[in-house]
Amino acid sequence: MLPAPVLRERHTMTTTAERPAVKLPPPKRRRPALRVSGRRSLTAWLFLTPTLLILIAFTVYPMVQALYLSFTDYNLIRAAEWVGIDNYTELLSDSAFWNAFGNTVLYAVVVTPVTVVLALAFALMLNQAFHGRAFARTAIFLPFIVSLGIIAIAWAFLLDPNIGLISHWLSLVGIVPEQGWLSDPRYAMAAVMIVGVWKNVGFYMVIYLAGLQSIPVDMYEAARLDGAGVWQRFRNVTLPLLSNQTLLVSVLALIATLQAFDQIYVMTRGGPFFRTETLVMLVYREGFQELRFGYASAISFVLVLFVFILSMVQFGYLRRKQVTY
Amino acid sequence: MKTQQRRGSRERRSRHTIRPLTVVAALAVTGLALAGCTGQGSGGGSDDQPDASGKVTLDFWNGFTGPDGPALEKVIEDFNASQDDVEVKANIMPWDTLYQKVLTSVAGNDGPDIIAMSASRMPQFASQGLFEPLDDYYSDAGNDTEALATAAVDASVFDGVNYGVPVNFTPMMMYYNKDLFTAAGLDPEKPPTTWDELASMVPKLTVDENGDGQPEQFAMALGDHETVPVFASLLWGTGGSIANDDGTKSTLGDPESIEALDFWVSLIRDQKATQIGMSGADADKLFQTQKAAIEIVGPWMTTGFDEAGLNYGLAKPPAGPTDEAVLADVVSMGLPAGTSDAQKEAAYEFFAYWNSVEAQTTWSDGSGFPPNRADVADKVTASPYPAIFGAAEVTDVSKTLLPGVASGGPIMETIFNPSVQKALNGEGSVEDIFTDASAQVQAELDK
Repeated sequence: MLPAPVLRERHTMTTTAERPAVKLPPPKRRRPALRVSGRRSLTAWLFLTPTLLILIAFTVYPMVQALYLSFTDYNLIRAAEWVGIDNYTELLSDSAFWNAFGNTVLYAVVVTPVTVVLALAFALMLNQAFHGRAFARTAIFLPFIVSLGIIAIAWAFLLDPNIGLISHWLSLVGIVPEQGWLSDPRYAMAAVMIVGVWKNVGFYMVIYLAGLQSIPVDMYEAARLDGAGVWQRFRNVTLPLLSNQTLLVSVLALIATLQAFDQIYVMTRGGPFFRTETLVMLVYREGFQELRFGYASAISFVLVLFVFILSMVQFGYLRRKQVTY
Repeated sequence: MKTQQRRGSRERRSRHTIRPLTVVAALAVTGLALAGCTGQGSGGGSDDQPDASGKVTLDFWNGFTGPDGPALEKVIEDFNASQDDVEVKANIMPWDTLYQKVLTSVAGNDGPDIIAMSASRMPQFASQGLFEPLDDYYSDAGNDTEALATAAVDASVFDGVNYGVPVNFTPMMMYYNKDLFTAAGLDPEKPPTTWDELASMVPKLTVDENGDGQPEQFAMALGDHETVPVFASLLWGTGGSIANDDGTKSTLGDPESIEALDFWVSLIRDQKATQIGMSGADADKLFQTQKAAIEIVGPWMTTGFDEAGLNYGLAKPPAGPTDEAVLADVVSMGLPAGTSDAQKEAAYEFFAYWNSVEAQTTWSDGSGFPPNRADVADKVTASPYPAIFGAAEVTDVSKTLLPGVASGGPIMETIFNPSVQKALNGEGSVEDIFTDASAQVQAELDK
């Protein structure tokens, strides 16, 4: 949106004839800045209202409700009974919880940096002019907009031990797993991680691409004049000026990985023997299979807290590296 | 320079908006995790009442997605045509989907009026208050329940109360590929009758053409998750089991159970008798594509195997050293708790029809399932399979798994199957894994 003064200027320039009809607000001397910002914020809030209402109805309210349920033994059928912090104390000694917690952390610790680095690498590559660039950009972005359920089914087929294309190719070079990649405890986690990275990297790449294109060319010219090589230009110009994007991408990627669910649900169901069961998978299992919605809510809340604290820490750290230019 | 400044100020503004936005985004995304766990509702079926003409419509959820689906719909069609008071509408979906949706739908008063599910899952849902007791259906002599197979009726009993009426009752049988038997130099008319005979055939039926250690053809197709619990039924062959008959004590760590598990785990690990890590659907596919010579599964696969052109035989699953190990699978239909009297009456009318001589004949002819009552056996002529699966020598020795145990579902899915997978992957000795699993089973039973 163009800033308001520009709009008015253009208006007066193009419609001179109507000029007298334009009713300018009477000049007020008292605290004009506050008034303008007040009016602006009112407009902003009005624009935000529909979204906020949706957010309150479908996110805030369920969260509050879930917080309440986490202190009950709710099972979806019977009325919830208050059990205090029983669910939370049970969590602490539940090996399934700690297993899922470990898997979630492992998944996040591996997938987040790999995704961010790959997204940056792709963005740098695809910011160069070359034949077929549009195709390559589309190809990398496409997985992000296709339903993860469909993607995961496709991957499950590709990795199928008997009819899978990838299994076949690997067997040609002598790599034959004893069983399906997804049912082998040694490879299952890696398989869902690869799909997780492949799925999301395109989205973060687009954010980085936008960032790259907003870096002024004269910065590179100046650096080149100072004798900076390719690496130095990347290290001292590109990377610092992409800090804002890195902040956004890493926070979003971390949150997304801590929520890993869909491809795991479709590809491995958390198996073999819970090797790929993440916290959200466990929430699903406790809730919908064991019918313990109170306990599942408690696990969700531990996850919420964990994600929230991590995001804040991450934000605080990366914010110091933010740039304005 | 001027543009530089303007861009700078825009950047600065957007920088300030990142923080609250990120927090909101974080909250929104984390909120998704919780979205599934909310919404309170009371029990009770859907609230549709009889319409103006007094006709009651019943929404019947079930998972007969296979070739058995049309047979089921045929019976329902006949029922709807036979009277004017009740109309049943079948809502067929994969069992998985049904289990996921049923609770939320019933809680939201927007669910089914009749719910079919594996009788082994019924106690879990009944213990949570999902189902209406149906004892009065059985006490009404007019419903002719005496004629039904006792095992089929008893399968849906939980805590002394019957919550279901059988849809089907069938033993799992051994399908064996006669062509593969012949190719292996075995007599195609002599399938293995004991575990030892089976074990001696495994090396012959296993084919590793390129010698990479990974067979191209397996002797068996045996799933270890998301499947009918055939693996668990093998424990019976040595007198073992997961729990005692009244479901109070875990017997998974007993020497008899360990003996059976040892036998099968070493057969699979050392001789590669089956591919590890398969779901039930994977196992079906392996047998269907002639990459496995033997599979133990229900009558719902006959159509698929016939269509694939397999030359297969059917026999009672091999017996263990001390006992038979034949798994029976029962699907029962129940009513959501809080069903109104009018709906209950209408549903009872349908239940009685379903298990009538006429309907059972139609069902068995169309689906290949054995009938729920013995007195129609001679009327079923269109399909040979009901007679094979309903043969007394098979059904008489067949047993349902963990009947009446509320935690039966969780025990299978979160303890037994994962433990089998661990053992098959060599993550510890059979004895250690299952002694540990037994303690977990006991904890579930004590809940």
